[in-house]
Amino acid sequence: MKRLRIGIVCPYSFDVPGGVQFHVRDLAEHFIAAGHGVNVLAPADDDDDALPPYFTSVGRAVPIRYNGSVARLTFGPVTANRVGKWIERGGFDVLHLHEPVTPSASVMALWAVTDQPVVATFHTATVRSRALHTFHPMLRPSLEKIRARIAVSEDARATVRRHLRADAYVIPNGVHVAKFADASRDERFTGTPATPTIAFLGRVDEPRKGLAVLLRALPLVLRRHPGARLLVAGPGDCSDLVDDLDPDVAAHVTVLGGVSESDKAALLHSVDLYIAPHLGGESFGIVLVEAMAAGAPVVAADLPAFLRVLGDPPTGVTFPVSDHEALAERIGHLLADPQQRRALAAAAQERALRFDWESVAERIMAVYELAMSGAELEPDRLPQAETLWGRLVRSGRSLEES
Amino acid sequence: MGEVDVLQLATAVAVVLLAIAWYLSYAAARLDRLHAKVEGAMAALDGQLIRRAETALELAMSDELDPSSALIVADAATSALERHTVSLTGADPLDGVTFAGREVVESDLTEAIVAAVTPEVRTAIGEADGPGWDALERLDAAVVRVQMARRFHNDAVRDVRRVRNKLVVRVFRLAGHAAMPAAVEFVDDVPGVTS
Repeated sequence: MKRLRIGIVCPYSFDVPGGVQFHVRDLAEHFIAAGHGVNVLAPADDDDDALPPYFTSVGRAVPIRYNGSVARLTFGPVTANRVGKWIERGGFDVLHLHEPVTPSASVMALWAVTDQPVVATFHTATVRSRALHTFHPMLRPSLEKIRARIAVSEDARATVRRHLRADAYVIPNGVHVAKFADASRDERFTGTPATPTIAFLGRVDEPRKGLAVLLRALPLVLRRHPGARLLVAGPGDCSDLVDDLDPDVAAHVTVLGGVSESDKAALLHSVDLYIAPHLGGESFGIVLVEAMAAGAPVVAADLPAFLRVLGDPPTGVTFPVSDHEALAERIGHLLADPQQRRALAAAAQERALRFDWESVAERIMAVYELAMSGAELEPDRLPQAETLWGRLVRSGRSLEES
Repeated sequence: MGEVDVLQLATAVAVVLLAIAWYLSYAAARLDRLHAKVEGAMAALDGQLIRRAETALELAMSDELDPSSALIVADAATSALERHTVSLTGADPLDGVTFAGREVVESDLTEAIVAAVTPEVRTAIGEADGPGWDALERLDAAVVRVQMARRFHNDAVRDVRRVRNKLVVRVFRLAGHAAMPAAVEFVDDVPGVTS
């Protein structure tokens, strides 16, 4: 295998947690472990010692209002200069930019890059930026440098199509399947045939995570399985939801609050059923993959994103979104059928491997290779760049781009 | 009108003309770059298609498929290997290549793979764990790369077509003689591998 120099640019501050940052970190560490040379450029406080050795800071990020929410971004001539130098000195075989239309390090890198093949990953499913529409013609020439676009979900791809009028190849976010598959059973979460356990995971006070639907289904489930227990894990306050329940039903609910990563894995590994009653707004459903990887049989709302994760034929049972009666019926049926639960869990665990970092990184590497071979196989640029006129044109071009 | 005014006017006209000339040159250079990107993407797609046909042939020869499936796959793979992209003119690579009607053979190969390598066959090859498994893994990798390469190629085509539709580019014929690149459409979806 050829050892590559890979430059990855992340627009969001690396010293605060976030989905894009985790993705970039995991990807970088995976490629480093595979023997490649990786350097990540992102905003961060320069004097932070906790940052990984493969990291280069582009400067401190400033919290700023953009596109309806406050994000920590970086901009300005000093940053632009640093980005240019990083590309120049990096000697990269390929540049991988994340969220290249967010006003931060990635868009600057796209502006500055001249020779290296560029791969871009789009994470968000909701770019409704008026600024983007206005500035699109200005961004166009630099967006044309992208040789390969990746979207992390079908929804993110739809956004790329709608707003950038381009297409993208879908490669989902990676999950560390082994961490969930190898989790150990935890007595606290393990059910018995008489007292089976079902789990909910996610922000409990976020309505679209659907805890309310599950709580409405619970009394119906208890009619058939009077010993069933519901374990609710996730940050937030759901006391008002639980207080609304009949006290007899509430006695079957255990609120765990926020749980650690290892407890989460143990929980999903131990329970008899994992329920994903989400109402919408999920573009991928990473928790679903985690449950599948841990070997929990899954009952999920039939959101498009979830159906895609579950595959065809589905490796979990689905019910119509927010239909608590159907949900109760599915839960009741599955709790009575341990054999089907085992079969579902085995199929889901197999399916989850598709979302493992190993498989995800391999596909991303395939995109790098295609982008690089596309660049290598280009016919030579016309010799006009060597004439005076050609130099003028070229300097004009780099003026516009730098 | 004094002489100074004429001088100023002449300077202004010269500046405007220079700016227009610069812009045209810039637009031509940009278009040139976009054409080159399409060529590169097409060459990459071509390479992946050859790899896919070769690995399909390898699987067909590996003795892991039943004879009739093996024949179907081998036939489709051989037809695909007989075809390749054609340069319209040899001299200037920017004059464009065409996909030369390969869409049909490549779709046929995809369909042959889907028909022959069913989930059951996949499981059987996995359990046998012989040379067929190795070939199947490489075929899967090639199938995914073909789909990626086609998408990236068509994306590059879209960029060129958009710029070439601009009024300035059409009026000043900035694209020269380069053929208008076209998107490549064929069936490349292999359920279970690409989705």
